[in-house]
Amino acid sequence: MSVGLRIGLLVASLIAFLFVLVFVIKKKLNIKYSIVWMLWSLLSLVMAIFPKTFYELADVLGIELPVNAVFLIMIGLLYGLTFYVYCMISKHNEEIVKLTYEVSNLHKELDDLKKK
Amino acid sequence: MKTLIIIPAHNEEANIEALVKDVCRYKYDYLVINDFSSDSTAEILDRNNFNHLDLPINLGIAGVTRVGFKYAYDHDYDCCMCIDGDGQHQPSYVEPILKQIEAGNDYVVGSRFVEEKKPMNARMLGSRIICGLIKLKTGKKVTDPTSGMRALGRNVIKEFSDSMNFYAEPDALCHLIHKGYKVSEVQVEMKDRQGGVSYFQSPFKSIYYMIAVILSILFIQ
Repeated sequence: MSVGLRIGLLVASLIAFLFVLVFVIKKKLNIKYSIVWMLWSLLSLVMAIFPKTFYELADVLGIELPVNAVFLIMIGLLYGLTFYVYCMISKHNEEIVKLTYEVSNLHKELDDLKKK
Repeated sequence: MKTLIIIPAHNEEANIEALVKDVCRYKYDYLVINDFSSDSTAEILDRNNFNHLDLPINLGIAGVTRVGFKYAYDHDYDCCMCIDGDGQHQPSYVEPILKQIEAGNDYVVGSRFVEEKKPMNARMLGSRIICGLIKLKTGKKVTDPTSGMRALGRNVIKEFSDSMNFYAEPDALCHLIHKGYKVSEVQVEMKDRQGGVSYFQSPFKSIYYMIAVILSILFIQ
């Protein structure tokens, strides 16, 4: 990895970390979901500081340019994170249907009582 | 047998009053589910004192029918039946379909093509592909897998109200056959849409629907 890339990665991961932190403090991001993002920015920080690990990893995976190993890891993480989001959407969908049913049912029972 | 007729309605001010009055003639319990209509459907339901649920958000047809199944399950119905609120399904076929449930079937579909021949057009091509896949997976021949006019026995109501993984009617049907439920079909006639707009306005939606149903039948159900 070139020095430029390392510096870029360092700065970007620091900014990302602060960004996540600010969002949590401003109560725009649930702390439960912020953990994964903080870990991610710390991981890229590690990458920037100790690029040697990735040289070895790239070597093991047979990737010629270490920077491609970084991309690969990033894409893999993104993939996992997106999938997790989709799982959460499915779960929330399910909960919304249940809540909608409960709300409309209560509303109806209330109306029926009022009519009596 | 305690029976509930579920009528999903989304922006059906033109049809709903006549339809529900027609359904009332058959002396079954019914439940209109107003899927957050933006027109006067809610007022019509209130004014006529029809038994109905007003959903606070728009869930779409799959969600609405599930709300109906949950209601049927919670209120301990032995059997329930879906009729579209757009007037395509005629209440006169309710009785013959429910008779099949009484005869011991778990799931009865009102099919347009038990005795009639299936026309040749794009929509029916989709229907044929789905029929072929269901035949391939379960070995059972069905004629109208996309029909929304169906009746459910008690155990199917429970299954449908619990599970989120039915994309639409065809894969639900396939699941039931595959699981060994007793499924039958009754010849019905459906009218053309009298008002409102179809879900399949854009070709992309139809293509998405087909892909989802095919994948669901092949790998999930």
